[in-house]
Amino acid sequence: MTDVSAADSGGLVRFVSRRTRLLGMPALFVACILATALIHPDFGSFDVQSLALGALPLAMAAAAQTIVVISGGIDLSVGSLIAVSNVLAASLMQHASFGASLGIAVLILILGAAQGAINGLTVAISRIPDVVVTLTTGFIWGGVALLILERPGGGAPAAFLNIAAGADVSAWLPNALIVMIVVIAAIWLPIKLSRIGLLLYASGSDPVAAFRSGVDIRVARTLAYTFGGIACAAGGLALTMTTGIGAPLAGTYYTLSSVAAAVIGGVSLAGGRGGMVGPVIAALLLTLIPMDLVFLGIDPNYGQVIQGTLIVVVVMIGGFVTFMQERK
Amino acid sequence: MARKHLMAAVAALALAAAAGGTASAAGKYIVGVSNTLIGNGWREEMICSIKAEAEASGLVSKVIVANRNGGPSEQIADIRNLISAGANAIIINPSDREALNPIIKQAADKGIVVVAVDQAVSAPEAYVLTNDQVDYAKLGAKWLFDKLGGKGEVVEMRGIDGVPADADRHQGFDEVLKNYPNIHVTSIFTGWALNKTAQATKDLLASGKQIDGVWTSGIDSTVVDAYQTAGKPFVPVVGADNNGFIGQLINLKDKGLTGAAVSNPPAVGGAGLGLALDVLQKKEHPHVVKITPTVWDNTSEAGMDELKKAYNQKLDPFYSVAINVPPYTHYTMEQILACKGP
Repeated sequence: MTDVSAADSGGLVRFVSRRTRLLGMPALFVACILATALIHPDFGSFDVQSLALGALPLAMAAAAQTIVVISGGIDLSVGSLIAVSNVLAASLMQHASFGASLGIAVLILILGAAQGAINGLTVAISRIPDVVVTLTTGFIWGGVALLILERPGGGAPAAFLNIAAGADVSAWLPNALIVMIVVIAAIWLPIKLSRIGLLLYASGSDPVAAFRSGVDIRVARTLAYTFGGIACAAGGLALTMTTGIGAPLAGTYYTLSSVAAAVIGGVSLAGGRGGMVGPVIAALLLTLIPMDLVFLGIDPNYGQVIQGTLIVVVVMIGGFVTFMQERK
Repeated sequence: MARKHLMAAVAALALAAAAGGTASAAGKYIVGVSNTLIGNGWREEMICSIKAEAEASGLVSKVIVANRNGGPSEQIADIRNLISAGANAIIINPSDREALNPIIKQAADKGIVVVAVDQAVSAPEAYVLTNDQVDYAKLGAKWLFDKLGGKGEVVEMRGIDGVPADADRHQGFDEVLKNYPNIHVTSIFTGWALNKTAQATKDLLASGKQIDGVWTSGIDSTVVDAYQTAGKPFVPVVGADNNGFIGQLINLKDKGLTGAAVSNPPAVGGAGLGLALDVLQKKEHPHVVKITPTVWDNTSEAGMDELKKAYNQKLDPFYSVAINVPPYTHYTMEQILACKGP
């Protein structure tokens, strides 16, 4: 009896340790959800909807950052790109019909691709470090957002807001979660399943080796930033969808949070490593932490300390696991 | 073994749920607070007044504060979290007039009493309890212009351009000014910042410009300090119910300082909770309540009495000492200073 279970658990340990990156995040998330249910027994479908709604823009931002970081870059204009598409959507959709608002959404996604392409081309051609380029374009687009909408305002048709609000399939499967999965899959799967994915991972993990094997690094970088731009535009649309307004300064939160989500989600900042499931779950986790702090009634001044500490701890555990694996 | 653990966990969950149920059955309310400007003394005091009122009322089991710097989108998320946390009443200092309306409606649909304090929201479901900023400027300006005998050069030290409170105050100031054709006004923006106000006052005093009186939008003791530093004779000054300024009105009266303090109590927070608790106990209230400020001057005996009663040597210069908003608040000075909720 004991022998069998020992063998079983040995197999399980091996199974888990080979797939820590794949299983670590969902396990951590499930643990956090259980902890939330313990501290807040009334945790119900409304709270699941709140969580999904709150995490929707951050999940898109995390997706954008992940694509760029995997290709060996970093995008510090994520927040500003989100702000631009957020205020643009809110000011154009205010009096539009539902059909027109969908058209506007498509235009904004195209604009996001263009904004990302500008980032990518500038990085690829000028060879100015990506941190500098995206920081500056971030300032520029942040200013543009303020020009479009001076103060929070605008709106969107109710039918557009209802895409994410509510839960049509089941109370426990909020629309926001479905939108999150569908949109991110629509951006990520074409990359992952085509040659583009190989291009991004190759140029991210070792640009010199990739170049010698015939990968055009400039093309890879431009593509990564372009797809990142599309994800940012989706994030801005998600922000409009979940708040019902445009806020020119709302983006600031997303730049660093997207980096945090990517890192917690197991994406290596050195490039070339990581997937999309981890960062998206990390976005949910980063939204769940402030919720739990509210449930616990913790003094808000400690809230940020706790959140920062949790991020460091999670990243350190991730680093430790990688270290142990590499030593084997 | 694993099964036993699971059973224990389920039992614990059920117990916790039962405990939550009995707490609300005993008539104890959970109160949520949403604030989006941190590191600001007035807002801190506002939150303390909510905690103090919760303590004094005996009706509140828990005050949950969702507090961070942010705009409407952050505040919407915070209000959602407060709804999730089971709040019976939510007190918000709104970051926008329109943007929070959908989430306020959702809260109201769940039977939650939402009170917007300090600034208004347009949602019809919400209760709105604010200081009347138009009256704030009117009362102070009228006192000053009368003090000057209806003629002279006045400096209007405004707050931040484009902020509702500043716009309202300026409107009130202008309305009174129309009745005093011989008063001439120079307006400057102080950004409600001490350093900027000190610099502006120094510049004005050095310029040699004739100044007969100063109206401030709340950064008051700084102006008096600048006069003292420059060694210039005092002119009448209008400020707010800030502890430091009130101390000056009392202590520098012998040296020729005249002035008036107009109240702008952060206790609107506690008052908002008082109103919410009334509504939860099925007492009728109007949806919009405006609190008229009071004026305490150091040139009348009644005003001087009020100033002396309000002044507290131990407090910071910019602590607002108008701590009560009758009939909505019930706490003591000790309770608001302790800043401890139930």
